[in-house]
Amino acid sequence: MTNSNHFFLLVKISIIAFIIGAISLPSSLELASPFWILSFFSYWLIYSNGKNIFTSAFILGILLDIIQGGVLGQNALALVLSSAFILNVKKSFFVSNLTTQQVYIFLGSVIYLSVFLLVHQLAQGLNFDWLILLSPFTGAILWPLIRSLLAKLKQ
Amino acid sequence: MRLLKLLVPVLLSIILIVLDTRFSYLDNFKKITLTLFSPIYVIVDLPSQVIDWVNDKGADNEALISENDYLKGQLIELKVRLQTYNNLALENQKISKLLDSSYEIPNHDVLLARIKSIAQSRLSKKIVIDKGSNYGVALSQLIISSDGAVGQVTQVTPMFATVRLLTDPTQFMPVKNSRNGIRGITKGMASTEKGMMVEYVPLDSDVKVGDLFLTSGIGNSYPSGYLVGRVTSIDDSLDVSFLSITLRPAQNMNKLEMVLIVKGKND
Repeated sequence: MTNSNHFFLLVKISIIAFIIGAISLPSSLELASPFWILSFFSYWLIYSNGKNIFTSAFILGILLDIIQGGVLGQNALALVLSSAFILNVKKSFFVSNLTTQQVYIFLGSVIYLSVFLLVHQLAQGLNFDWLILLSPFTGAILWPLIRSLLAKLKQ
Repeated sequence: MRLLKLLVPVLLSIILIVLDTRFSYLDNFKKITLTLFSPIYVIVDLPSQVIDWVNDKGADNEALISENDYLKGQLIELKVRLQTYNNLALENQKISKLLDSSYEIPNHDVLLARIKSIAQSRLSKKIVIDKGSNYGVALSQLIISSDGAVGQVTQVTPMFATVRLLTDPTQFMPVKNSRNGIRGITKGMASTEKGMMVEYVPLDSDVKVGDLFLTSGIGNSYPSGYLVGRVTSIDDSLDVSFLSITLRPAQNMNKLEMVLIVKGKND
């Protein structure tokens, strides 16, 4: 894969993640749904050798903040830090079975959620619905599905 | 080197968070970027538009005729009620003149908008509507629906506007008790089951379960007289200075389809 291919894959993946993330669901489902951008970006990070990973994570996070009307920088910080974790375990992803991969995605989502809630707490006070704590679990559960769908997109 | 590559976006994110929460320097940047990315909203909303279109085309004649009859009936009923209301309004004007009161019944210019099926940040309670600055929608305008106040416009692009609901924990609105005029400020609650609370109402105030709270119009940020919610519980523990009042929103936020944007006084 050339550099431009990596870039176009990232663009495709990001647009799909933005669209899925913007689909309105019942409020409890919406709270418990996975951090789509993290799952999709993790796939790109693991299965392509793209450059400028943290810059890409930062830009995608900023765009998500703007599209979703959140605090500017909240998703960006969460995505950059969880990408750093996924990048650290990238090599073991290839030799791990699906369950271990799900554990990595779960831990990445926990980092994302912690940063997300920390920024929320600092900006608006610790006032949130507990259902959001389910999102790392749903992210891990849906990882095999996301992975197979994105693999088809990559081909 | 890798640490530096990580630190730069982390620091930039922290700076942006501080700038966005404390100042409004980045509002124009956000508005322009959101306008550029609004095709995403169009794509996301496309399936529901297609479903609406198919439903409209697929509706049979008989159903439309019966719906039309029902709506005509409703219109007549509302016109009759409006006559009584007009009489009351005239009576009110006369009494206001006699008492030299400055109270006016609100008469505002409104614009109808449809709710888009577009999700916003999961920790905030916001909705997107299909009218934007092209229709004269502006920041801070009040949004109402058939049963009462809904929220406030917080972001505007040419085609869409974002509305922060009254039930959002960061949304505040000055209100008054319809029975005795006692004033307070509503604040949303994060939990989806609970609605809002009214703050800054002194302990010895006369507030009862079932009382209605309306927009007070104080500060001229919002027009007055629109229903906000009904009192569901009052906690008057003496260890705090104010009553803890919980309101159930007059408008069920989960059943919203159409809303009205209150644009200003209709002179």
